[in-house]
Amino acid sequence: MTTTARTGAAPPAAPARPDGGGRRPGARREALTGYGFLAPLLVLVGTFVAVPLLGAAALSLQRTNGFGEGTWVGAENYLRLASDPVFWRACLNTVLFTVIVTPASMALGLGAAVLLNSVLPARALFRSVLILPMAVSGVATALIGVLVFDQNSGIADGLLRALGLPTVDWQSDGVAAFASVVLVTLWWRTGFNMLIYLAGLQGIDAELIEAATLDGAGPWQRFRYVVVPMLGPSSFFLVIMNVIYSFQVFDIVFVLTGGGPQNATTVLVTYAYDNGFVVRDQGYAATIGVVLLLVSLLFTGLRWRTSRTRDLVG
Amino acid sequence: MPLTRRQLLSAGGVAAAPFALGACAGFSTSGDDASTDEGGITFTTWGTDAELAGFRAAIASFQEAEGATVTLNAVPYEQMFTTIDAQIQAGNPPDVFRVPYYTFGSYAGQDQLLDLTPHLPEGFADRFTPQAWQAVQREGAPYGVPHHTDTSVILYNEDLLSQAGVASVPTSIEDAWSWEEFLEVSRRVKGSLPDGAWPFAYNWQGNGVTRWLSWLFEADGRFLEDDLVTAAIDSDAGARAVRFTQGFFTDDLVPPNSSVKSSTYAADIWYSRTTAMNFAGAFLVPDATSTLDFPWGATFPPRDVRSAGDFGGNALVATKDVRDPGLVARFLDHVTEREQMETFCAGASLLPTRADLIESGIDFEVRPELAPVFLQQAAAVLPQDSGQVASPSMSAIITVLQDELERAFVGGRGVDATVQALSSGIGEATAR
Repeated sequence: MTTTARTGAAPPAAPARPDGGGRRPGARREALTGYGFLAPLLVLVGTFVAVPLLGAAALSLQRTNGFGEGTWVGAENYLRLASDPVFWRACLNTVLFTVIVTPASMALGLGAAVLLNSVLPARALFRSVLILPMAVSGVATALIGVLVFDQNSGIADGLLRALGLPTVDWQSDGVAAFASVVLVTLWWRTGFNMLIYLAGLQGIDAELIEAATLDGAGPWQRFRYVVVPMLGPSSFFLVIMNVIYSFQVFDIVFVLTGGGPQNATTVLVTYAYDNGFVVRDQGYAATIGVVLLLVSLLFTGLRWRTSRTRDLVG
Repeated sequence: MPLTRRQLLSAGGVAAAPFALGACAGFSTSGDDASTDEGGITFTTWGTDAELAGFRAAIASFQEAEGATVTLNAVPYEQMFTTIDAQIQAGNPPDVFRVPYYTFGSYAGQDQLLDLTPHLPEGFADRFTPQAWQAVQREGAPYGVPHHTDTSVILYNEDLLSQAGVASVPTSIEDAWSWEEFLEVSRRVKGSLPDGAWPFAYNWQGNGVTRWLSWLFEADGRFLEDDLVTAAIDSDAGARAVRFTQGFFTDDLVPPNSSVKSSTYAADIWYSRTTAMNFAGAFLVPDATSTLDFPWGATFPPRDVRSAGDFGGNALVATKDVRDPGLVARFLDHVTEREQMETFCAGASLLPTRADLIESGIDFEVRPELAPVFLQQAAAVLPQDSGQVASPSMSAIITVLQDELERAFVGGRGVDATVQALSSGIGEATAR
């Protein structure tokens, strides 16, 4: 991940043939062999990614409940989307969720990684504890969240009550419900962020830190001007992963809040699911999916534009 | 050992081979396996252990009588209808599947089900109650059989009610509390409860929002006209039902997190002793019996102009292109015979749809003394009520009910605005 240099033993390019053909003997055969090896993957990607994507795009131009032939309606679903307040609320919630969860889970992950990269006693145990949530499925995580944030009999309000503090309406207050989704997600995602940062930290040459120390840099300066820049590729990878995950969030919201109260936690994927499988307005649901795809593509495009520099240390 | 490029490519090819072969072979599903069973019936359902045991018993006796195979495909409820829809879209549906009455119309209205009229024996309809038979009709023809029903009554915590001085509860449907009496009892219970506890919670979460319609029916209202297209909720009865149920929240009689879009179910709130009373169907009886360590009983839900209830439960339907409609019809006939239905309902704690079983009564295997409460309440469902829920647009109407009632209950929107929003939303849903 931290290097783009090729170290393989690829032979130097063959000189051009004197007859001007410009191809070395056997090149066509080698290309065919290459495509032959690629073919299984292309078939799989084509069948399970490209065809469904094109199908969804076609569905977004139809009015259909999924049974029989749909009716082609052109851009009607897209126009409806533009004037649908719940869609815009879902967009706002999705962006807000992304903007909060991405930096927060990275900051917590970095903090934990720095702590667990030091000479902390029992650090192997702490590392395992932090990584454990990664092994739990999203639905199970959300069910744990329900036990914690149930506002009648949940653990969170029980603790607040025991401390003599006012309880929080985790399920009937929109802001608190959104906070509960964020908190459960952070619990789930911090371990992954820590793992990536821990790997990045262990790849930093100790001599660099030592040199900075000899140059008179204090702990904060060493962290800010040596460690953080050296973690550039890890941070870049985590930004991409966290943003993509946040845009696709579904299971936590679906189980923990169901999108409520009053759409306070509805996100794009839960809204698409409701339209597709509850209302059975599958054309409209596909339209939301296509918009989500376009946003993801836009973000991926930005990533490609910046990746040439951001994928290098320093 | 350093790898040469040739070795790497070879290894990659070997690694990819299983995927390529898998792609060529296609993926098999349980549905595929089942549909290859020529000459038999494929039957997809979800169910509790008790329900599946009931289905298996009925299948065994049918197989013995007919010599035909019935392949039972049990799937989790959460996957049931995405699976069925995908199979219908792929042209590979099961012959028979189980469907809630409020979802029945979505399939019947889209011409996905078999019209059973020519395949059922003469007088077949007479075995069912009128409200049950009405729930499986589309334009006057049966597109399924009512397999069982369920309806909500009040389950109450005896300790919490007696602590509030409520010494007795109605013991017959004629003596059911009026809406006003129910409010009075609730307020009295509230006065005796500590902070963080409420008199009751209503079971309208999730798709249970159709149970809100019981209040509308009790006020003698409708949400659809007989044509099942024209919205009929903008009425005095509609406004009365919205105002009364909104009052549960404004008067702090129910937990704030028990609204129609809450992810917490009323039963769980009652289990944790946060509420004294809980509206629930008979299906909850076995679970409550094994879970609860406080004494509890059942009584009738309140009545207004009349008693009413939700026509819960499920129908069995056949898909329109079944290979042997006659065999499928005989299967549907068999599973709704008196003996099969009685075994199923007694074991799974559900209510029969046969008029003779309603008449003679049924003994639940668990808490049999509660069965009469549920049976009397189920009889209060009128055919006109269950017929509306069979609307082909019910899936979209459910979403309208959830959104608009949530705005009234949690968002504080006024009664008139809510009734108008419900009316226009239902109109738009049926026009799609």
